[in-house]
Amino acid sequence: MLERVQLAVDAARRAGAGYADARHVSEETESLTVRNQELEGIDRTLSQGVGIRALVDGYWGFAATVHGEEAEIERTAVLATTIARAASRLPMEPVRLAPVEPVHAVWETHVHEDPFAVPLDEKMALLMEASRRMQEVEGVSFAEGSLDFYRRQTSFASSEGAAIEQTVINSGGGLVATAIRDGEVQRRSYPTSGRGDLRAAGYEHIRSLGLPAEAERIGRQAVELLSAKDCPSEITTLVLDGDQMMSQVHESVGHPLELDRVLGMEEAYAGTSFVRLSDRGKLRYGSDLVTLSADATISGGLGTFGFDDEGVPAQRVILVESGVFQGFISSRETASVLGPGSVSSGAMRADGWQNMPLIRMTNINLEPGEGTLEEILGDTTDGIYMATNQSWSIDDKRVNFQFGCEIAWRIKNGRRTELYKNPNYTGITTEFWGSCDAVGGPEEWRVWGTPNCGKGQPGQVARVGHGTSPARFRNVRVGVR
Amino acid sequence: MTGPIGPNDVKAIADEALDLLGADGVEVLLMHEWGGLTRFANSSIHQSTWREDTAVKVRVIAGGRIGVSTSNDFSKEGARRAAASALEIALVAAPDPAFAGLAPAAEVKDLDRFDEATARTTPEERAEGVATLVAQLEDGFHAAGAFDTTSVEVAIANSEGQHCYAPYTQSTLTTVVSGGDGGAGSADVTAGRVSEIDPEAVGRRAFEKARDSQSARDLEPGRYEVVLESLAVDTLVSFLAYMGFGGRGIAEGRSPFSGKQGLKVCDDSIDIFDDALSAETLGIPFDFEGTPKRRISIIEHGVFLTGVHDRRSAKQSGTESTGHALPPPNPEGPFPLNLFLGTGDAAIEDMIAGTRRGLLVSKFHYSNIVHPIETTITGMTRDGTWLIENGVIAYPVKNFRFTQSILEALSNVEMIGRDSVLASEFFFAASRVPALKISGFNFTSKSDH
Repeated sequence: MLERVQLAVDAARRAGAGYADARHVSEETESLTVRNQELEGIDRTLSQGVGIRALVDGYWGFAATVHGEEAEIERTAVLATTIARAASRLPMEPVRLAPVEPVHAVWETHVHEDPFAVPLDEKMALLMEASRRMQEVEGVSFAEGSLDFYRRQTSFASSEGAAIEQTVINSGGGLVATAIRDGEVQRRSYPTSGRGDLRAAGYEHIRSLGLPAEAERIGRQAVELLSAKDCPSEITTLVLDGDQMMSQVHESVGHPLELDRVLGMEEAYAGTSFVRLSDRGKLRYGSDLVTLSADATISGGLGTFGFDDEGVPAQRVILVESGVFQGFISSRETASVLGPGSVSSGAMRADGWQNMPLIRMTNINLEPGEGTLEEILGDTTDGIYMATNQSWSIDDKRVNFQFGCEIAWRIKNGRRTELYKNPNYTGITTEFWGSCDAVGGPEEWRVWGTPNCGKGQPGQVARVGHGTSPARFRNVRVGVR
Repeated sequence: MTGPIGPNDVKAIADEALDLLGADGVEVLLMHEWGGLTRFANSSIHQSTWREDTAVKVRVIAGGRIGVSTSNDFSKEGARRAAASALEIALVAAPDPAFAGLAPAAEVKDLDRFDEATARTTPEERAEGVATLVAQLEDGFHAAGAFDTTSVEVAIANSEGQHCYAPYTQSTLTTVVSGGDGGAGSADVTAGRVSEIDPEAVGRRAFEKARDSQSARDLEPGRYEVVLESLAVDTLVSFLAYMGFGGRGIAEGRSPFSGKQGLKVCDDSIDIFDDALSAETLGIPFDFEGTPKRRISIIEHGVFLTGVHDRRSAKQSGTESTGHALPPPNPEGPFPLNLFLGTGDAAIEDMIAGTRRGLLVSKFHYSNIVHPIETTITGMTRDGTWLIENGVIAYPVKNFRFTQSILEALSNVEMIGRDSVLASEFFFAASRVPALKISGFNFTSKSDH
């Protein structure tokens, strides 16, 4: 397909583009859902097409076509330049691109077992068995299991000479047990909510999750939650499990540090950011224990790849070091705003061939601290321990947030005691991270996947990763009602 | 430029999938979507796009087992391949005892919702519209937003003889204006024809809100009277639908309306219905199983009457589909895409004049569910919130977080707007709703802007 995208680039250049790039993307998906040992659906999709980006006199235009014929690709390339020229109706500082070395490369997610080659009946049998074990727990109303697989093959060429072929494979699965009684609905998920845990991996990841082995536990917890008290309303010490830390990092670190958001380019949709360009090296984002990175090179993250959709190599950048804000998640265009010598952090990704690349989180990680979860809990005199995200909400500058979790326990003198249902907590981003006084060590640290990150107009969905371990925060308001 | 494929050529592609050996039943959903979106920020056009995509989604039934396969190869060969793939899945799938059969042949209305001028809109015309919007701003303010013109063809055909086709167009202009001392204002308009979009009015309204929300003051959170403009009301109605109006969730006890049929759930003044055939909404006259749509009253005079159904949930509840199926496979069940909240007789000015001490809210942001059975959601205010004292707007206030039961709010409605606005909380649905005056609404924390 490289010839096809090179054709598009050449056509855009002939039509007047100073710079052009093009991607042919072919994406296959497979999705299975089982509920109460009945198949809710198996769905396979295949989507392919070409997206062409043209920069004409400093203005962007993008056009994408499902049609693969040469003439149609050339017509679409010319259309991209027409769209770029139309954008000049409103003057602006012309777009400049931070430099990148154009490469010829081939990259592929390392998998042990191709998830699309595993027979459907084996996948179904796994979900049916997990569903059966959840249903065996008295009081479980719904026992759901799901598996999702993605294979995205991208051929990228740019007018600067880059030619990259890349295949990214993602696999994931999860379980949800739901218990309903007297108008109360309680859910427990494994390994986490939102169709489970997805990674850049093959079917070996599904085997490693041990879904049937955890089915009874989450079924039992869902039923126990029906009889639990509501999480009390108080200001207290809060310990968050690693899977809730994923959501906390995503909303209150990942999104606010996207440089396009900081520059106002996302204002009309999900908003801007409280972080300013001048905050680098100065803003106290969190306590000394808080170090955060964007790292597309780690093994298995949903934000792990070889090259972004501008042909920039995957890399690791420090966002916050020992509590002080240091750097943004950026693109070639936005990095150029930071001044001479600045380069992209390699975070431009598009949702399929149909969409223009945007700055998307790669793997935004809270670097590990010290100690196990049990040691953090053991060192807590009084507080609440919450696990597994249930809902999320944050304001249009990423300042005021509120999260709901599936389950919580009172911590008393270092031990988990009473179970609570419907837990939630709220805070202000920098105050909250500033109150962090414990982050779990490498033995607790793992990468989680967020498969449904929304951004942009038209709306795009990205799969991003977060490496986290459990962490503790002081003086947090919980039980908001 | 791209144009419609047309019903005959679409049917020819569908027929290729329907002609499948080894299947007991076949259903084909075909979609063709094309159009442009001009996105702007800092009063400049920074991301302007155009795309054309297609989809052939085939559902095959074989021996009580179901397989679904989708391809964007919109050709006869693509349709045949998608059908073969769906059959391959069906042959290894577990039986689905809840399957209620394919929709029978039935007539659907022609809604005449395809506007040639909208389909032909050029990037230059959208850019001109954005320039007109930006021209409404005074110095020191800037606009961000998107101007979208989209055309869609949807067709459903199945082996029971049902075949329906509908083309439609849609245009949306949204903007947030900000600047000065940190104030912001927004305006959105959605219509079936681009000629119904008035960029000057959209820009002026957003600018005036931004201008009038300068130097917002701190106010303590708590329970306040509220005047919710239509965009804020849309959040309440859309989340209520998401949590509660689907027939499957009601039957399974997961909905706040489970067991509530015929019972009063909110104030007598509240009527909520779904009506895709109304001239005041957008969309197509059939659902994604091919069942014709019709008006469904969901809440009438505060009493919950019924949820909406697809064929599966209808079978589960011993009733008939109301024409609210989403594309298969769909574990979440049916959903109303064209909701209306009945209008009243009040102007916004009446609502403000009738407020002793309360808040005027333009819009909610990033809302999410706290407790689905209590219909409690949380979210933030955005783009203009003001304190009202003794019937007049006193001053702008910084943004609040609300945590509020929707049904409790709808039980405390004091006035309903006489005008309604077409809005879209979820990208795949549109609601037409008026403003509301509510006697008590819970704001649980505040932000710094």
